[in-house]
Amino acid sequence: MTDRRDPLLKVEGLSLSYQTRQGELQAIRDVSFELARGSALGLVGESGCGKTSVANCLMRLLPDSARLSAGRVLLDGQDILLLTEEEMRLLRWRRISMVFQAAMNVLDPVYRVGQQIVEAIETHGVESTEPAARERVARLFRLVGLDPKLTEHYPHEFSGGMRQRAVIAMALSCDPDLMIADEPTTALDVIVQDRILRELKDIQQQLAMSLIYISHDIAVVAEVTDVVGVMYAGRLVEMGDTADVFRAPAHPYTAALMSSFPSISGERRPLISLPGEPPNLSDPPQGCPFHPRCAYATDVCRVEYPPEVRAGSHRAACWHPLDATLVPQG
Amino acid sequence: MVLTLFLIITLTFFLVEAQPGDYASFYVLNPDLPPEVKDQIRAAFGLDRPVWQQYLIHLKNTVTGNLGVSFGNYPRPVIDVLAERVPRTLVLFLTATAVSFYIGFFLGKAIAWRRGGLFEYATTISGAVLFTAFTPAFALMMIWVFAFKLGWFPVGKFLDPLVWRGADVSANYVFGNMLLSAGAFIVFALLVMLLLKRFGRAVPSVVALPIVLGGAAVIVAAWAISGIGGLALDIVKHMVLPVATLTLISFAGTMLLTRNSMLETIREDYVMAARAKGLPDKQVRDRHAARNAMLPVVTSLVYSLIFAIDGSVIIESVFSWPGTGLTLLQAVRSEDLPLVMGAILFIGVLSLLAHVVVDVLYVYLDPRIRYQ
Amino acid sequence: MTTPEPFGPTPEIAVDAGSRRLRFVLARLRLVWRSFRSGGGTFLESQMGRLSLFIIIVYALMAVAHPILMASVWDPATYDPVTGYSFDQVEQPAPPSWKHPLGTDPLGRDVLSQLLYSTRSEFVLGITAALVTVTIATFVGAVAAYYGRVVDAFFMRLADLMIALPAISLLIVLSALFPLNLFYLALIIGVLSGFGGTAIILKSQALSIKVKPFIEAARVAGGGHFHIIFVHIIPHLLPLALLYMMFTVTSAIFAEAVLSFLGLLDLRMSWGIMIHTANTGGYLLGGTRYWWLIVPAGASITLLCSAFYLAGRALDEVVNPRLRQRND
Repeated sequence: MTDRRDPLLKVEGLSLSYQTRQGELQAIRDVSFELARGSALGLVGESGCGKTSVANCLMRLLPDSARLSAGRVLLDGQDILLLTEEEMRLLRWRRISMVFQAAMNVLDPVYRVGQQIVEAIETHGVESTEPAARERVARLFRLVGLDPKLTEHYPHEFSGGMRQRAVIAMALSCDPDLMIADEPTTALDVIVQDRILRELKDIQQQLAMSLIYISHDIAVVAEVTDVVGVMYAGRLVEMGDTADVFRAPAHPYTAALMSSFPSISGERRPLISLPGEPPNLSDPPQGCPFHPRCAYATDVCRVEYPPEVRAGSHRAACWHPLDATLVPQG
Repeated sequence: MVLTLFLIITLTFFLVEAQPGDYASFYVLNPDLPPEVKDQIRAAFGLDRPVWQQYLIHLKNTVTGNLGVSFGNYPRPVIDVLAERVPRTLVLFLTATAVSFYIGFFLGKAIAWRRGGLFEYATTISGAVLFTAFTPAFALMMIWVFAFKLGWFPVGKFLDPLVWRGADVSANYVFGNMLLSAGAFIVFALLVMLLLKRFGRAVPSVVALPIVLGGAAVIVAAWAISGIGGLALDIVKHMVLPVATLTLISFAGTMLLTRNSMLETIREDYVMAARAKGLPDKQVRDRHAARNAMLPVVTSLVYSLIFAIDGSVIIESVFSWPGTGLTLLQAVRSEDLPLVMGAILFIGVLSLLAHVVVDVLYVYLDPRIRYQ
Repeated sequence: MTTPEPFGPTPEIAVDAGSRRLRFVLARLRLVWRSFRSGGGTFLESQMGRLSLFIIIVYALMAVAHPILMASVWDPATYDPVTGYSFDQVEQPAPPSWKHPLGTDPLGRDVLSQLLYSTRSEFVLGITAALVTVTIATFVGAVAAYYGRVVDAFFMRLADLMIALPAISLLIVLSALFPLNLFYLALIIGVLSGFGGTAIILKSQALSIKVKPFIEAARVAGGGHFHIIFVHIIPHLLPLALLYMMFTVTSAIFAEAVLSFLGLLDLRMSWGIMIHTANTGGYLLGGTRYWWLIVPAGASITLLCSAFYLAGRALDEVVNPRLRQRND
């Protein structure tokens, strides 16, 4: 039934809003993408553009105020948004696991680190006996470059980098098909960040696991991922192979985001910071949400949301794509 | 710890010293006494010496357990009176504290986990009312409802003289044995739990309950055939209402605190992570959220324990429960100073012990403190 | 002044030091007023805050009403809370009637009059105790935080000891040694709480103020220890101190009621004494039959205690910004 060539994950027209005192806040609007088995997808964008909300949707870990208004999330063809809470619980970590944004506090301070990973393994019955589960944790620790002896230690005895590794080991503990890494290295210093990133990439390729890597750091995403999606104001504004997108960005926002970071290829050019702020999601501007900050905006941008333009797998939502090879479909 | 104990002894001594008149004045003021007898009495009390010597003697006596002779229960020594009364207070206090902590914690975590709804509203309101209710009035209301109107329990006191008429054993003997069996039962239950935990998955945890219940049944049976079971039952009957009242007034604090602490813990990343790991809802709540939410609750347990100590003094006086609190009150009313000092010393020691227990418990519960 | 002012003459040069100081004080006051207004807004926004304020105001009005009533419509011979006697009742205690809206007590005294009369002493007691607490606690907290080391260690040990003392039991003992009146009671409760828990909380607050840049600036500018403690640290402790005043009021009223109930206080009349009188007469176990002997006083104790407690909780949300954002 499941063909190896079918995408592992297929997100179609996903829309999510939060009920707040200021009214309805549209965190994600009409987001669609596919993720092939064993490949890595990056999601980039400024803070508050909906990246983390997408991750939470995939895990179905949403606060009570959240409302999924439309869309499907197909994992191996099965819509996980339709599963019961109990079915979803068994799927979490076993199929989709997550490395959280604030890794510092992800480990429960009152239990030994190894114990917390064993807990997940036992819940999902990945190993049948406790010694086997412990042995597995030791293996995972070695995999992420930690001394297996550390399993008997408490989180407060770990440094930031060690905790992050432990959290990655925890995310790997049930052999998930998909791992979501939500800004896993933001809180760490650059050197540790780089090492962990490299190891993450190695492990992902070694285990042929799919990865969704969420970050605001374009350089990191370019290094780790095969496919990248750029999010702005809850919308996926551009998507394509990482190399294509960063070589010839089609959406002005992607271009602006790239020029505000030091170049990946090392060429020297002035850094241009993007003026203005992302729009208020409870009252987004009409038309293209980026038009108030866009240098290329015209009247049509202010009125109507742009159609999709594409060239192969590279697509963008823009009236005036910077890369003219992208053209409207149909 | 020792220092604080020392301070309490010192404090009580100087409080008594600071009041007008002295111990002996009760007797010395009697104009019929010839002066040499007065001096004799003063010498007997050590009152002819300077204050600092009196203080040292007092200190030595207190440490060696010589608390003097009670005026009111003459010629029983204070230590003897206390030895009879202290266990009765301890039972009241410990049972109520344990039960109220358990109930408060359980309800607190439940209402924080399922927010909204009638249940949360009802428990929070009734908790707040119980928390601020005027303790004596509330205790009297309990007596009125359960003892007078419903007649389920006796009105007060420790035992019913009618039941005890013709009994050939003393109340203290029966009570002592009851304490022993309760202690034995607790040790037994803890052992069962510990053994089960030790051997982990080899034995399903369901068997724990029957084993523990079986132990309880054996103890109850032993009492039933001992011949003094009826007497013990009488004491138990007298205990129910005071314990229930003290529990009711003290559980609300724990409950409200647990609720607040839970609401903060629920936002922690590790609770989110526990859910993401696919742990069952109950496991996320109990093992992760509630386990961490317990820490601040335990810290403030000191306050609840002190509250419960004061509460037990009030409850004892309303229920005429002959424990340390009632003893203190009666001693105060009859100006039985040695007994007053003995009782306050005990209450001070009890609250100090409460402090120590809480500290130890906290260290056990929080690994971050354990290794410092 | 020899250097020419590049942007025109500043007003400071024209005015003398005194009025400059005055303007500085005024500016400070304006700031305080503004924060008070926004804080007051938050306070009144919460249901708890409104409710508690309402109850406190009602009781304050009751306290004021008593002397007025005594001077106008109530004849002291009948209505005096302690010595009055209602001769026209056949049987004491008498149930509520037009003449005695809350009935009379076993000694033939008017219950409403007792209730109103006692309200005043409860306020005096509570507020005195709270003021003593706050005075001691702010001072101890500021000094312990500022000097640290031995001073800190000493006061914190002392605070531990104070917390370890069961207050009610201690007061019972004290009542055996001294005649406890309202003032002593307020003083003792104030001292217990002032050197105890409140001092610990204010100290930790003072510690966070101590490391702020303006303290360093004041020290560099040559401010003496006492200047810094009184002018720069203590004002910042006051909002939190106000909060703990509320809790002290609660515990003072509660302690008074309990001790009066046990008959250990040297007071003319109080809510606790009203219940004590009813209890020693054995009327309490009559249940609902003699409700007017216990309900007004009992409810008043509970209501006023919880009103101050709730006011504290509502203030907590104003003073403690961490809690304020928690409402969502």
